[in-house]
Amino acid sequence: MRLLPTTALLAGSLACLQGVNAAALPVVQIAPGDYVHYGQHDQRTPQNLGDNANIGFVVGERCVAVIDTGGSLALGQALRAAIREVTALPICYVILTHVHPDHFFGAAAFRDERPQFVGHANLPAAFAARGKFYVGTLKRDLGPLAEGSDVVAPTLLVKDTLELDLGNRTLSLRAWPPGHTDNDLTAYDSATGTLWASDLLFIDHTPVVDGSITGFLKVLDQLAAVPARQYVAGHGRSSLPWPQVLDRQRRYLELIVKETRQALRDKKTIQEAVDTVGQSEAGNWVNFDLFHRRNVTSAYTELEWED
Amino acid sequence: MLLRLMSGLLAAAMLITGAAALANEKAEPNPANSQYWPPIQKLMFGDREILDGKDVIRVYLSIRADDASTVPVAVKAQIEQKPELFIKTIYLVVERNPSPTAGVFHFGLDSGRAQVETRLRFEDFSHVRAIAETSDGKLWMSSRWVKAAGGCSAPNARNRVPAALLGKMKFKFDDDIKYNEPNLVQLMIRHPNESALAGDFDPTLVPQFVRSVVVTYAGRPVMTAEVDFSLSDNPSFRFYFVPRDKGELRAQVEDTHDNRFVQALQIQEGAPVLADVATAR
Repeated sequence: MRLLPTTALLAGSLACLQGVNAAALPVVQIAPGDYVHYGQHDQRTPQNLGDNANIGFVVGERCVAVIDTGGSLALGQALRAAIREVTALPICYVILTHVHPDHFFGAAAFRDERPQFVGHANLPAAFAARGKFYVGTLKRDLGPLAEGSDVVAPTLLVKDTLELDLGNRTLSLRAWPPGHTDNDLTAYDSATGTLWASDLLFIDHTPVVDGSITGFLKVLDQLAAVPARQYVAGHGRSSLPWPQVLDRQRRYLELIVKETRQALRDKKTIQEAVDTVGQSEAGNWVNFDLFHRRNVTSAYTELEWED
Repeated sequence: MLLRLMSGLLAAAMLITGAAALANEKAEPNPANSQYWPPIQKLMFGDREILDGKDVIRVYLSIRADDASTVPVAVKAQIEQKPELFIKTIYLVVERNPSPTAGVFHFGLDSGRAQVETRLRFEDFSHVRAIAETSDGKLWMSSRWVKAAGGCSAPNARNRVPAALLGKMKFKFDDDIKYNEPNLVQLMIRHPNESALAGDFDPTLVPQFVRSVVVTYAGRPVMTAEVDFSLSDNPSFRFYFVPRDKGELRAQVEDTHDNRFVQALQIQEGAPVLADVATAR
């Protein structure tokens, strides 16, 4: 199996991200003013520096909004360099879409621009509960390369909706009830019809349930109604139109709910359910072994309270 | 297309490294060589002899935990509860946890079987030990190795317990109730079971966890447990009781905020009727 050339390429292109004068992260302009960097589906390593999620930015006439910052300071610095290759406008907002490390650990790279760090109203509590643990595991995985990667507290909270004015360009933020996590934010760029869905949408990568599985399905129904012409998922990319691109993920989640409810009716223990539920989806998703069984644990502990 | 190929290759690369890692980890550490156990043993049991428990008590679990904050663990007696010899107490110890004694469970003849299944948090890869004390005063131990980490310092954010639901309980039964034999029952309690150990970022994060669970049937103890935050959120227990006749199955739960929650159910032979007798807070 010819793995080495590919991984060497990736390692090579990312090695240059480690310096202070960071090389710019490669980005794609998916619509005028909407720039995306697509992350990789593997686990966090010193080679990829936590480049495991999709991140990007939106350029207005007055300033720039960053949407997620990558999994380490180095990623955040490389994203900032990419922004500077496109525009000299100040960065007025850094949106932290939720509490997962592959999305927020690059935030410290933007501190000295003094933007508003924007998060869901539940994000501070989530950082309080998990921040220490995430810093520890980042050090474990990246060693000295983790240096400077911080949990940056949000300065502007979204309870329901919030409009951010970037100068003749409005980003509409929405804070959702528990789904992927209990602190999910999405951003909609009405100028281009681009929906930044973050981890409410997984493509190819196994969807992760770290909030509420029934909540996630309800949120997807509402998300599908957003009139998006383009979209950015939290992981993966696709040429499927919106909202059809949601279907695969919806089917996966619905299957877990259906089979877990059946397991509960069959009086299966949590261990038995985790071993059997949803296995027919194994071939459809990357990183299935890492995330699927935990999803079933989530679903079981949620659904066992149903009457 | 290229991206799909690349992600496939990366996934394959990961599987290979994953398999290699598994092969190295196959060598389970010998529980007798654990550096963590001797001080815990000394504190809990002094110089008392602890015998090999394989014919008395066993621990059942999956070696690789999928979720360190919710690891299902079953501790099952290998002997029946008989007047001549029965298990009085089971100590459940997770040696690498900040609070290693995850639970102390007391049983009697009305328990039917000395057995409990629950869900634990694991802070680090650890031996989990079950020490049974039999009615003749002897101690017996079995252990298993669990690969899980972060369960105490990274509580999951899912299924947060709304204040109005705190202490709400449910009894569940696998089967119809039969008199004069052990019947399996599950008790679930809505509770965050929060240690607040992770609270460096927020000083308002306060510990609140279940301290004791007392279950009786017809006024006699079935299972009594002293527990703490080593149990997962929304603590869940599966255990046995032996109904001789109609009666009330009652659970009383206390937490570190001095809350006392009570749930009671009338039991009789046949399909369990889940009507509340008393629900007090």
